[in-house]
Amino acid sequence: MRVLETGNHFVALAVRSAGVEVVPAYPITPQTQVIEKIADLIAEGEMEAEYIPVESEHSACAALISASLTGVRAFSATASHGLVYMHEMLHYAAGIRVPVVMANINRALGPGWNIWCDHQDAISQRDTGWLQVFVSSHQEIVDTVIQAFLVTENRDVLLPMMVNLDAFVLSHTYMDAEVPSPEEVKRYLPPYRPRWRLDTRLPVTHGSVVYPVDFSETRESMKEGQENAREIIREAAKGYEEMFGRWHGDLVEEYRVEDARHLILAMGSAAAECRVAVDSLREEGHSVGLLRVRFFRPFPVEEIRRLCQDRDDLLVMDRNYSYGLSGALYSEVKGVLYGRTNIPVRNLIMGLGGRDVTHQLIERMAVKAWKGELDDITWADSHSTKSHEITKEMLGRFEEMLD
Amino acid sequence: MLEIRVHGLGGQGAVTLVTWVARAGYAQGLHVQASYFFAAERRGSPVKAFLRISEEAIFVRSQVYSPDLLLVMNRDQVPVALEEGISPDGRFLINGGEELAHRLASEYGRDVYSVDATGIAIDLGLEIDGMPMVNLPLFGAVARQSGAASLEVAMEVISPIADKTGRPEAYRSAVTRGFEEVTRATPT
Repeated sequence: MRVLETGNHFVALAVRSAGVEVVPAYPITPQTQVIEKIADLIAEGEMEAEYIPVESEHSACAALISASLTGVRAFSATASHGLVYMHEMLHYAAGIRVPVVMANINRALGPGWNIWCDHQDAISQRDTGWLQVFVSSHQEIVDTVIQAFLVTENRDVLLPMMVNLDAFVLSHTYMDAEVPSPEEVKRYLPPYRPRWRLDTRLPVTHGSVVYPVDFSETRESMKEGQENAREIIREAAKGYEEMFGRWHGDLVEEYRVEDARHLILAMGSAAAECRVAVDSLREEGHSVGLLRVRFFRPFPVEEIRRLCQDRDDLLVMDRNYSYGLSGALYSEVKGVLYGRTNIPVRNLIMGLGGRDVTHQLIERMAVKAWKGELDDITWADSHSTKSHEITKEMLGRFEEMLD
Repeated sequence: MLEIRVHGLGGQGAVTLVTWVARAGYAQGLHVQASYFFAAERRGSPVKAFLRISEEAIFVRSQVYSPDLLLVMNRDQVPVALEEGISPDGRFLINGGEELAHRLASEYGRDVYSVDATGIAIDLGLEIDGMPMVNLPLFGAVARQSGAASLEVAMEVISPIADKTGRPEAYRSAVTRGFEEVTRATPT
């Protein structure tokens, strides 16, 4: 079925097609449309699932975990402050090994209060144990939500997955995409069959105290789950392409990289904008390609080592910042390349708090980078305006008044 | 690729308008992208809405800075809208009477296309909470002036929506009048 919908509604339609049975959720801009649509589908009898309204995101995640432990396919959605409010339960979900999927609509964290897109929310959940994928189109939203269940439910993975889509740029924008029916998806994604579940007929305790003598083993097993996920993600993407004819990459997506001297690396919708920049830079005779990093966890270690080392340089775009160091993708890329290459790797910080990411600015920055005119880390779209100067001036006067 | 930008005020229906035009493009088998940006989530605050229609898949995700059609739904936003940019061959369309259009044409030294969408909406008694539904005539005007859709296609989009209201004929006639009543003012 081809439809014209918002990115958020495409999440909901994919969740229905994936045969999700329980959806606990708490509304937050810009995620609200996702759960409104799911609630509508359930109310209209078009989706057979239990919708659980809760009083906070912390509870949403707790209910998500509990639902999954009873052996059903469960999904939730959140954004920004909702995601970070879940932080404790995100660790819990991964530690207790529930194969749940959650859409996170990437939104800045305040203050300053801001409802628009950046990746700070997801990046600050990096070490929770969740698989994290970033999508760049409406079609990829649909196809990734469906693939996510196949990956997380694989018994060699059993870790939750966060499907990240950019606030407004994807979430509230209407575009056309194909949604496979629940019947079609069943052939790709069989009904969830847990190895065990919470059942009063067979009572067990799960997730209780683990002493030092066993703890490292539980954590090493999570590490194994993430490592195993790499191959499962590749197979899930390949299998999806075979069945539905659509490919968005696996851990990464390559675009015009074969002969490229320069590579740009980016995540999310900004990577689609980079694709436009690559085309236009190629037309001007520059040898450049795009490596779109889809999975931030597990990190595409092999792919980046294989695809990045024999280039002239790399330009890594981050829509987040790890304060006191650099953009998060930048530091990961440099980390996996350590000792293998000496090519320059530069970092562009762009698009924070919904600042529009334009291919024109990417093109200008890329050319500057290749001429050696950029610092290692460049805040590409940050500049002082007249109103910032006025604010600073006011602050000075405030200080005088207090004295 | 056809690109449109709309400047309106919260409550004027700018976002709904671009989704209608998107539906019109989509109904013709084209790829579409309708998005928007607003600062404050309240009535009367400035809203920008963007539209792309293309035969090819659309990868660009940024806002529209060089539109083929620039629509201003409220005259106060004319300077801001023009300053933000329009394609060199872009068509500039306003919600307003011919007199205003002629004045703006002379002031900015460019052709100004206009339709009195507020007048049409009031004429047909189409108001929501006292606000004239200017986006109905402007949908017709944008469809024609951007070349996005014929009147037939515009009707295909609006009819299912109109039929759910108590005033389906008024809706249809608002779109038709917007489609037909645009005039061009040239600088004198």
